[in-house]
Amino acid sequence: MLFFYLLATLTVLGALGATLMKNLIHCALCLILFFLGIATFYILLGAEFIAAVQILIYVGAVATLVLFAIMLTQNVVGETTLKGLGQNRWWALGLTAAVIGILGSAIHHQRFSAASYAGRLTTQEIGQALVVVYALPFEVVSLLLTGAMIGAIVIAMEDRKKKQ
Amino acid sequence: MELIDQLFVLLKQAILKTSESFLPPVFLPFLSILISITAIALFAPLTMMYLTWLERKVIARMQNRFGPNRVGIYGLLQPIADGIKMLTKEDVVPLGADRVVHFLAPVAVVVPSLLLFSVLPFGRGMTAVNLDIGLLFFIAVSSIGTLAIFMGGWASRNKFSLLGAMRALAQMISYEVPLVLSVVPVVMMTGTLSTQKIVEAQAGWRGFHWYLFTPWGVVGFLIFFICSVSEVNRTPFDIPEGESEIVAGFHTEYSGMKFALFYMAEFLGAFAYSALGATLFLGGWQGPLLPSWLWFGLKTFFLVFVMIWLRGTFPRLRVDQLMSYAWKFLLPMALVNILAAGIWHYLSFPLSLIVSASVLLIGFIALSRLAPTGTRLEKRVYRYAE
Amino acid sequence: MNTIPLTHFLMLAAVLFAIGLYGVLVRKNVVIVLMGIEIMMNSANLNFIAFSKFYSASRVTGQIFTLFGITIAAAEVAVGLALVIAIFRQAKTVEVQEIDTLKG
Repeated sequence: MLFFYLLATLTVLGALGATLMKNLIHCALCLILFFLGIATFYILLGAEFIAAVQILIYVGAVATLVLFAIMLTQNVVGETTLKGLGQNRWWALGLTAAVIGILGSAIHHQRFSAASYAGRLTTQEIGQALVVVYALPFEVVSLLLTGAMIGAIVIAMEDRKKKQ
Repeated sequence: MELIDQLFVLLKQAILKTSESFLPPVFLPFLSILISITAIALFAPLTMMYLTWLERKVIARMQNRFGPNRVGIYGLLQPIADGIKMLTKEDVVPLGADRVVHFLAPVAVVVPSLLLFSVLPFGRGMTAVNLDIGLLFFIAVSSIGTLAIFMGGWASRNKFSLLGAMRALAQMISYEVPLVLSVVPVVMMTGTLSTQKIVEAQAGWRGFHWYLFTPWGVVGFLIFFICSVSEVNRTPFDIPEGESEIVAGFHTEYSGMKFALFYMAEFLGAFAYSALGATLFLGGWQGPLLPSWLWFGLKTFFLVFVMIWLRGTFPRLRVDQLMSYAWKFLLPMALVNILAAGIWHYLSFPLSLIVSASVLLIGFIALSRLAPTGTRLEKRVYRYAE
Repeated sequence: MNTIPLTHFLMLAAVLFAIGLYGVLVRKNVVIVLMGIEIMMNSANLNFIAFSKFYSASRVTGQIFTLFGITIAAAEVAVGLALVIAIFRQAKTVEVQEIDTLKG
């Protein structure tokens, strides 16, 4: 139980750091802490495979992309200029509190049954489900990934003809 | 023979039994893991120190000179002297550097490299943490190390460091893809991601069931080895460190213990990737006469020796050559390898051998002709000052 | 670890979602807005995994959904950041208020 609160505190600190910090690289590093915290929650909940996939994809690839984007759109060496918080921060704070309130009351008023599955889901069951039951979404997602990859490269590519 | 083979396992069980008498039983799993962790924490830096010694001696001999031979017999105390030197150096932090990130970067590089050791099967029944997803854990944790290198380069506030860090990041993420793809046939054939079960699946018939002795195994092993040399930033892929190029790349501004940590992370990574290569393709701890952990050590040190050999032999690859090699050659080759592995599984011997070997050969020849890696050589045009 | 009730995980996911929402609404830099979106998607994935452990008909559904969620979020952030880089080249700024050429 203590574990849960410790990890929860770390994860929430990571999320807060990612949204509130002034230095952009520090934001990205707090985001990495957040992703690692979520991965530990997946392990707590018995989803080891998803935890490893989370670390591989989010920390290994998405965080790298975010860091590259920060680097390519800022002054590279020198002060990372402070992109501060906007003027409408009180409205946003109120909206956020309202969201937490609504979700919290929905959670606490719901009666959940006490069923819980002990043990972990093996990789084989996930693999079986992916290619037998969920084969169509699997193929569609692979097409989506191919399209996203090609699209991202085409959009971010420099205009070769302009340089001449 | 059984005793020597299971020496470390029996040692750990003896420690657990003697502490059973005076510890409450809730602490026993923690003590068990603590013993494994202590063993790794003692073994890993010691290995790293003597790997540096081995590297200096071997490269020196290849360059027709002696290595360090003054500090002890054959220079065996040299790593200790190096350690003392690094500990007593002044810790310089550049003026405009980001202090927090500059401090955290060496730590963030070493921790994933040490975590990698927890899923390696050091012997029969000697995996520190027998995870069901061991291989995926290894790959996921090693991809965290790439970010830490970027952190190190960024925090130094130095154009050369940043350049080295960006190039390191680009290199490491582009070589991760063929690395993972070259491991996929092994997982396909074994049906599990657990490193212990992969080693056990290569047992039998005097070593001919190692995955190295299958057509897709050879190609897979070569791709895995090349990608792992690139992942740990060793020559011929050591653009990030580029000892003769951009001062020292991303660890220019680090001195003393922090540099020692970066250095340690590189060697620990080299050892861990060689150990994984030995596990996946060379049959782990399988072997006839010697104890299992000795076989594992021999195979791993052989692969590390090949890495050191490569360092002494090849010149450095240029950054664009490096990237085009990964994306235009290794990645399609790894995909053809998966196809060949599937063919090998479903046909029967000897047709499987012939068809899959020919698929691989056709793929290799086609890729080396078609993939336009590198610039074309043109006739030189001389321009004189008029 | 079975002693942690489901509501704890759901509350945590709700708090993280709200933090991500705050980040999207308030920050000026487009990259941080995308980071906020990632935080929201991760908290939704946490919900799925929590339910798959506690309260689902088939054990594997929640985790498969999460796997697809992670994949789609990664694809989305890749395209989003490519767009950010292209916009930066054009408009030379990455502040959300400044990029308003489509405004009527």
